[in-house]
Amino acid sequence: MLGQGARLYWAIQWRRNEGLGALFLVLVVFAVIYAGLFPGILAVGAMAKFVQGWFPTAMVAAAETIVMLTGGIDLSVGPMVSLGSVVAASTMQGPLGILGGVLALLALGTGVGAIVGAFVAIGRYPAIIVTLALSFVLRGVALLIMPRPGGFVPPSLSEFLAGSHPTAAFLLVLLIILWKLYQATPLGIGLIAVGDNAEGAYRSGVSVTTVRMSAYILSANLQAFTGLYVAAQTGSGDPLIGEPLTLAAIAAAVLGGVGFLGGQGAMRGALAGSLLMSILINVMFFMGLPLVAQYVVQGLIIVATVSLPLIRTSLRRAS
Amino acid sequence: MGVQQAVLGARSVSKAFFGNPVLREVSIELVAGRIHALLGENGAGKSTLINLLSGTLRPDSGDILVDGHPIASLTPQEAHALGIAVVQQELSLAPHLSIAENIGLGAYPRRGGIVDYGRLAAAVAEIAKELELIEPLDMAVGRLPLGRRQIVEIAKALYIKPRVLILDEPTSSLSAPDVAILMKLVRRLRDRGVAILYISHRLNEILDFCETVTVLKDGSVTADRPLAGLGPNGLVRLMVGRDPRNLFPPYASRSTGALVLETKGFRAAGAIDVDFELCRGEILGIGGLVGHGQEDFMMGLYGAIRAEAEEFRVFADGVAARSAPFATVAEANAAGIAYVPADRRKEGLLLPHSIDFNLLLPLFASRSLERRRGVEETAITERLAQRLNIRGDRRRPAQALSGGNQQKVALSKWLALEPSVLLLNDPTRGVDVETKREIYLALRAMAAEGKAVVLLSSDTPELVHLCDRVMVFNKGRVAATLPHVEASEEAIVAAAMGVRNAPTLEGEPV
Repeated sequence: MLGQGARLYWAIQWRRNEGLGALFLVLVVFAVIYAGLFPGILAVGAMAKFVQGWFPTAMVAAAETIVMLTGGIDLSVGPMVSLGSVVAASTMQGPLGILGGVLALLALGTGVGAIVGAFVAIGRYPAIIVTLALSFVLRGVALLIMPRPGGFVPPSLSEFLAGSHPTAAFLLVLLIILWKLYQATPLGIGLIAVGDNAEGAYRSGVSVTTVRMSAYILSANLQAFTGLYVAAQTGSGDPLIGEPLTLAAIAAAVLGGVGFLGGQGAMRGALAGSLLMSILINVMFFMGLPLVAQYVVQGLIIVATVSLPLIRTSLRRAS
Repeated sequence: MGVQQAVLGARSVSKAFFGNPVLREVSIELVAGRIHALLGENGAGKSTLINLLSGTLRPDSGDILVDGHPIASLTPQEAHALGIAVVQQELSLAPHLSIAENIGLGAYPRRGGIVDYGRLAAAVAEIAKELELIEPLDMAVGRLPLGRRQIVEIAKALYIKPRVLILDEPTSSLSAPDVAILMKLVRRLRDRGVAILYISHRLNEILDFCETVTVLKDGSVTADRPLAGLGPNGLVRLMVGRDPRNLFPPYASRSTGALVLETKGFRAAGAIDVDFELCRGEILGIGGLVGHGQEDFMMGLYGAIRAEAEEFRVFADGVAARSAPFATVAEANAAGIAYVPADRRKEGLLLPHSIDFNLLLPLFASRSLERRRGVEETAITERLAQRLNIRGDRRRPAQALSGGNQQKVALSKWLALEPSVLLLNDPTRGVDVETKREIYLALRAMAAEGKAVVLLSSDTPELVHLCDRVMVFNKGRVAATLPHVEASEEAIVAAAMGVRNAPTLEGEPV
C-alpha cells in the first residue's frame, strides 16, 4: 500500500505521459523492425555498442530539454561538446590525469553555463541569440586549443566508457535517477513553473533567476561531459566532432514533445526521441541507404511523428 | 476603528510608469478580521496598489507598512513569508504542473532538499476540502476550465496560511455555486482574524460583506470610509465623482438618420444577441467593463473573428449591399469598414517602418501589383498627415513618435480608404490630454463628413460628451442603449455594473 505522498507523486508522473503515446508507439514499431532485420542486436555485446552510439545524443537531448523547459533554447550544444572533447583530451595528459580532466570539464561546464545563464536570466537577453553567438565563440576556442584532432584519452578510460562493458547503459540509468531527484526539488519543479508562467512563478515566490541559472549550468555540464564521452569513444579530442549534435538535440526534444515556449514536455519524451533517431540511423545504415537519403527520411519521420498528435486533435475537433 | 493596529498598510505611496503617475499619495490600512473593499474604474490604479502591497512592485515614494513598521523593499518571497497572499486576476498558475504542485509552488514542504509529497498532499487535501475542490490533485491545471483554475488560485493563497488575503476580482470567472463557496470561506477567514482586501466590480458583493471601502480615482484616494449607509448608487457616485474638464468639443449631433449598418441577433465569441444600427454622421459609443463582449462585438463586425447574425445589412448609398457578416477583414475593408485597434504598438503600426509607409499600408491591399509612384504617395500622406495634425519628418520610423502621435498615425492611415464606418477601439488609452483633444476634434470632423464612427472606450467621460448614443455591454449583452441626454457617467457605470433602476438593487445575479 502506497502512502498518500507516493500516490500523489506517481500519479503526477504517470500523467506526464499524456501526448507521448504516438511517439512511444512509433518507437516500438521501429525497435521491432530493427530487431527483426538484425536479430544480432539482442546480444549483450551488440546492445552495449548500440547504447554507446545512442548515448551522446541522449545526453545532449537531455541538456536541451532542461533549457527548453524553462522557455529557452541552446544553439551551442554541438560546439560545446566539441570543446568538451578537446578539453578532456588535452588535460588528461597533465599531472592530475583523469581527475584533472574531470575537474577541467566541471569548470568548463559551470563557467559557460553561468555565463549564458547570466545573460539570459539576469540580462534578459533572448536565449536564441546568446547561444547562437556562443556557438561561434566555442567553436573558435576549440579550434584554437586543438586545430586538428589530437590529444589523448587514457585507454583505460576509453575501455571503461566505450569498451565492451555496458557502462553507457548504467550511466543512462544513473542520469535518469538523478533527473528524477532534481525534478522532485523545488528548483526542478520550478523549471516547468518558470517556463509556463514566469511572472506567476515570480509572484508565487519562486526565484526565477536561480531556476534559470541552474538550468543553464546543469545543461552546460551535461554537454561538457558528453564531450568527454565522445573523446573516450575515439581516444582523442576533435574540435568539430560535436557539430551535428546541435540539431540532433533540438530534433530529439521536439520529437519528444518538448515545446519551444517552455513548460511543456518531459525528459522521457526527449530520451525516447533521441532513441528513435538512433534506431533510424542504424536501420538505414545497415540497409545501405546513401547518407543523403538518410537525412531526408530522418526529417520526414520527425515531421510525421510530431504531427500525429496534432492530426488527432484536429480530427477530434472536427467530429 | 483606528484603535486596532493595521496588519498591512500603505502610507502615501506613489508610483509612476514611464513618467505617467498611476498612484498619487495613496494610503490604505488593512486590519485583522475586517473585509476591506477597494473600488475604482479600470485604470484607476487598483492593480498597481495590490502589486505594491504584495511586493511585486516597489513604490517610488511612501512606505509599505507591516504591523506598523515600514518595510524597506518587499519582495514576493518576503511577502509570502509575512503571510501576505494575493489572488490575482491574471492567474499565477503553471498549466503544465499538477493542482497540488501549483498550490504548493514557492513554499513546498521539504525533506533533505526534496519536496515532501506526503506533507504536500496532506496540506493540499485539507484546503481542497474547504474549497470543495473535487478534481484529482495530480491533474494538470491546464486541463481545468477557467473558473476552476480560479479556485486553485485561491487554494494557493490559502496554502501559505495568510494573515492578509488580497482578492482581485476573484468572482469574475466563477460560477454561482463557486461564488457561494468563496463567500462562505472569506467570512470564515475573517472570523479567524485574517485581514482581507476585496476588489470586485460586483457592487452587491461589496455591499453584502465588506465593512470599509477605499475608492481610487485616477490614482488618488477619493473616499476611505465605512460602507454602512451607502447604497449601490452611493458607491457609483464615489467612483465617478470628478469635474468634467474643458476637454471635449461642444456637442452637436451630425447624425443624418440614413442607415449604414444594421444587424439583429449578432453573435461573435463573447458578444451575444446584439441588435445594432448605425447611421451616417453618427458617433456611437460602446461602454462596459473590460471583457464583457464589447471587443468581440467589434472584432466580429469587421470580420476578424467568426460572427453570426439573424440579419446583417450594410448600406451603400441607401441600398442594402450585403446580407451576412464579413468573413475576412479584407471584405470589411472593401465594404468601407475600417478598424483602429487599441494596441497601436502591436496591431496598429509597423513600428520600425516610416510614418509614410504606415500611412500607405491600407492602400497597398487594393494595389497589390501596381508600381508605386513616389509623387502620388507623398501627396496622399501629406493630406492624411494634415487631417490629424501629424507634424515633423514623416520618414522617421513610427516608433520615434510619442504614444499620442502614434495613435494619430494609426487612425489617419485608414482615412486613405475613405471608409464609411470607422470602428475605434479605445483610441485615447494612454494618450496625453492635448492629443486626446485633437482626436476628439478629428472624430467630430469625420462625423460631420457623414462617416459613421463607433467608439469603444474605457474612458466614460468620452462616451458622455462625444457620443450620440451609448451602448453599454454587460455579460456579453447590451445592457442599455442610452441617447445622449440620458448618457451620464452614473448611468453608464451603473449599466456596466448590472445595476438597474436605481435606487433598488436588482437584476444582478450572484
